[in-house]
Amino acid sequence: MIEIKKTYKNYVGGKYVRSESGKTYTKELKNEFYELPLTSKKDIRDAVTSSKDGFKKWSSTTPYLRMQILYRLSEMIEGNKESYVELLMHHGLTKQKANKDIDKSIQNIVWFAGLADKWEQLAGNLNPVSEEYFNISHQNPIGVVFSLSGSNVSLNELLMSILPALTVGCSVISYSEENSVVALKFAEDINNSDFPSGSLNILSGKFENILNDVSKHVEINLVALHKELDNNGLKSIEENASESVKRVFSQPSIEGLSSILPYLETKTVWHPKGT
Amino acid sequence: MVNWQYSESIESREILDIKSKYTNYIGGKFVEPNSKKYIDTISPSTEEVLSQIAISNQNDVNKAVKAAKSGFEIWSSLAPYERSKYLFKLARLIQERSREFAVLESLDGGKPIKESRDFDIPQVAANFFYFAGWADKIDLSWSTKGLKPHGVVGQIIPWNFPLLMLAWKVAPALATGNTVVLKPAETTSLTALLFAEICDQAGLPNGVVNIITGDGTTGSLIVNHQDINKIAFTGSTQVGKLIQKSLAGREVGLTLELGGKAANIVYEDAAIDQAVEGVVNGIFFNQGHVCCAGSRLLIQESVHDQFISKLEKRMQALRVGNPLDKNTDIGAINSKEQLNKITNLVDEGVADGGNIFQTECELPGNGFWFKPTLFTDVQPSYSIAREEIFGPVLTTLTFRTPDEAVEIANNTEYGLSAGVWTEKGSKILWTADRLEAGVVWANTFNKFDPASPFGGYKESGFGREGGRHGLLSYLKESS
Repeated sequence: MIEIKKTYKNYVGGKYVRSESGKTYTKELKNEFYELPLTSKKDIRDAVTSSKDGFKKWSSTTPYLRMQILYRLSEMIEGNKESYVELLMHHGLTKQKANKDIDKSIQNIVWFAGLADKWEQLAGNLNPVSEEYFNISHQNPIGVVFSLSGSNVSLNELLMSILPALTVGCSVISYSEENSVVALKFAEDINNSDFPSGSLNILSGKFENILNDVSKHVEINLVALHKELDNNGLKSIEENASESVKRVFSQPSIEGLSSILPYLETKTVWHPKGT
Repeated sequence: MVNWQYSESIESREILDIKSKYTNYIGGKFVEPNSKKYIDTISPSTEEVLSQIAISNQNDVNKAVKAAKSGFEIWSSLAPYERSKYLFKLARLIQERSREFAVLESLDGGKPIKESRDFDIPQVAANFFYFAGWADKIDLSWSTKGLKPHGVVGQIIPWNFPLLMLAWKVAPALATGNTVVLKPAETTSLTALLFAEICDQAGLPNGVVNIITGDGTTGSLIVNHQDINKIAFTGSTQVGKLIQKSLAGREVGLTLELGGKAANIVYEDAAIDQAVEGVVNGIFFNQGHVCCAGSRLLIQESVHDQFISKLEKRMQALRVGNPLDKNTDIGAINSKEQLNKITNLVDEGVADGGNIFQTECELPGNGFWFKPTLFTDVQPSYSIAREEIFGPVLTTLTFRTPDEAVEIANNTEYGLSAGVWTEKGSKILWTADRLEAGVVWANTFNKFDPASPFGGYKESGFGREGGRHGLLSYLKESS
């Protein structure tokens, strides 16, 4: 019997789409050749448009609901655990390593789900100003985040490049090169977890093709690089970013409270007290 | 009616002992610049030459960074409790010499004495006090893993609040264990150099605070120095972008506090008289030389005419003149260059079709002055509605609905501050949530406190100064 081979596509605005350029790059897995979307400049622009819309919806979703949607993602992955393990093994991971990667992924999703309605209490506070004013610092999500995932084949590493930003209400454009088959499969579980369309867009391709388009795009508020780039790559990204004072984080922390801080803008509100 | 005669009340300059020339302060010593180059520093209210300051070159910057590097060895190995005590000591010395600082600030920078005396200098002392107490509590500040100082921090500050910007930069940097190379703006270096004397007086270890003077060229030498671990800059967005670009690909920390074009939203249900006061304070405080100034007045259509008529009347009461006169509300424009910039933008506003109102007042003959100015009938596309004027010029736009107000307010690349005026609490919170601004003043404007974080969204920069959040600008996670 002939096995049916899956066609992997980008995931943008809640839809599975090919690159508008029609271009692909080939990945061989278990003697099969997969043609993955080679994301173009136009695809990036489309993803940003979708992410802006996704940001509006996702950031205005209540923390209580964001928490449940994230938790639902862990339920989806738990249910599809075997297929992830199999896919990782096709990439050459041992069964033990593959299992561990998925277990860690689920654990991390649950951890961030539980943070969705708490981080504002950890990152904000009342400020004791020395006059009769109520003064509070709280946080807003920074907006549209472009996140380049690492070069290892791993669901957990992919998640750690996405979850901190998503948890605080940012929309994320996740971009994978080596890890793209895992990322594009993961899109299916995102699609089944009630995330508003555009809150997470998942793309595959060669980062060097779109490096300039991403770092120059003024509607991307932050670029997070979870992959070590050569110094020239990082330099061009940061130079381009300076044109719109865009935030760039190279290898941002993925642990604890530090993981979410880059994705926040602190807003301080004053109001007088009086009768 | 009695015709009262105006009687001025001039603050004496006797308390000051301005030297004819100031050198750099490096490694705990006052040293001649290697460049041997000095420029005059003048009082913008009289154009009188007050003194001379050094223009530092590469060798001077090298020397200062080297001193800060060896200062870091000492400072970072001190018990945090000892660092705390040094900062408390600096705070006390500033309080003790506060009148001297205030008079010098007004003379050198042109701001009214009532502002330097009652706002700038007290806030300077308050910042040192506030951060003094953090120095030995860094481990309690954030529930993140092991935070440690960057090392040598280069700090470049503007001319609008010369000593206060120094305090915003130096106090948190020192509290977190960093050492600094600070460059004040070339038109307002004198109070920073007086602060150097205070560091000396406090017996601060050599090299912990280094102050070198110069213009933008000196600033870029600091930014590009290989041994700098972090840059903190306050100034224009244009220069901020250049600094961010210079640091591309380098492992150097950066925080930027840049320009703004704040919307001050007045809803129809605001307490109008209070709002008029707040709007006046929002734009005319410190001659409008304030990055967070409420320079875009957004008035709900239904109260526009009433509001403008009250505003014009209130503006007419503003007293423009000698900064050392205790009655002065609006002092001198900081420099000829800035005056030209303001004049050009205002001319453009008139040419675009804006309706201009300026108060009737006599301006002194010498020095740099600009009358309090209000524009009505302005389109959002005019440059006076988009560009930061950094002067006593208010631009008015109108709106019909809260949604429209928020949309206009956010329709700018800046995101530093904003104001909201309404007596309805729910509307304040609704509006504040939607404004893309680092500071939102509701039924008030231009309030500052060392405990309150300050800094922008979008092209107004990144990082916060002040409060618990301000500590993070000077700390990095130990890997």
